[in-house]
Amino acid sequence: MKESLMDIIVCPVDKHDLELAVDEEEADEIVSGTLTCTECGETYPIEDGIPNLLPPDMRDEVEA
Amino acid sequence: MTASDGDDDTEGDTPAGEAADAHPTTGDARTVGDTYDRIAGHFAKTREYAWPEVESFLEGRRGARALDLGCGNGRHAERLAEHADRVVGLDASRGLLAEARARAAERGFAVDLVHGDAAGLPFADDAFDLAVYVATLHHLAPRERRVASLDELARVLAPEGRAVVSAWSTAHDRFEKNEGFDTSVDWTLPGGETVGRFYHIYDPAEFEADLTASALRVEETFVSSGNCYAVVGGP
Repeated sequence: MKESLMDIIVCPVDKHDLELAVDEEEADEIVSGTLTCTECGETYPIEDGIPNLLPPDMRDEVEA
Repeated sequence: MTASDGDDDTEGDTPAGEAADAHPTTGDARTVGDTYDRIAGHFAKTREYAWPEVESFLEGRRGARALDLGCGNGRHAERLAEHADRVVGLDASRGLLAEARARAAERGFAVDLVHGDAAGLPFADDAFDLAVYVATLHHLAPRERRVASLDELARVLAPEGRAVVSAWSTAHDRFEKNEGFDTSVDWTLPGGETVGRFYHIYDPAEFEADLTASALRVEETFVSSGNCYAVVGGP
């Protein structure tokens, strides 16, 4: 994902801002990393360049 | 198959079993995502063209940011890219997001892809000027989640933003009932394996009622190619 996407993505649960931690980057694409809600602390993985922002009770429990 | 077949771009679809007890899924994002993950590659190949109703909606409209909600293989994101500076595509199926990414790379359009749930959107209020929410609402259950997804669309639309919403309708000639109902529509993979997909088939009055129950402002509704459509604005 592009870092500029941070302007519009929020926590799907409480709609608060997310904080980005990048693990791997290629050119201007974030390949893997973690998004953390600044309010509730829930974390959302960025896997294979796509952020998984499914609400926690709906996403696969398999950790990347 | 033609581009105007609506949600029966029929290839792969087998006739609907209208039995209400044939649900393969509960219609939550997880199961809809899993279902489409299983058929993503084949499904994407049969979804080549943008719907003419979507083309008509987009005609003359422009925006800074556009959302393709339930983007599938990205065929409408591709069109949105001609009408907005930035396009975001959201889908519950990881497999379909991979198809959308491949399509964007092949055809040279830009789309930011997000894995998410239509009933709990991970986007800021007023983020989008344009949105397309077609052939996705009918995969959500129960009704509360469908209305919640319409509320979410209203929330993320800018005050002057507009969206087109569609769902499969009882008006389609493959259905005999006149009232909305839940069903399972099989997808047949090339090897003959079938995968059931949950659908709520809307009758037009019920479609309008769900829109009215949501925070969306309804500008226009119509039935076309067996689908219910609405052009809507934010709250």
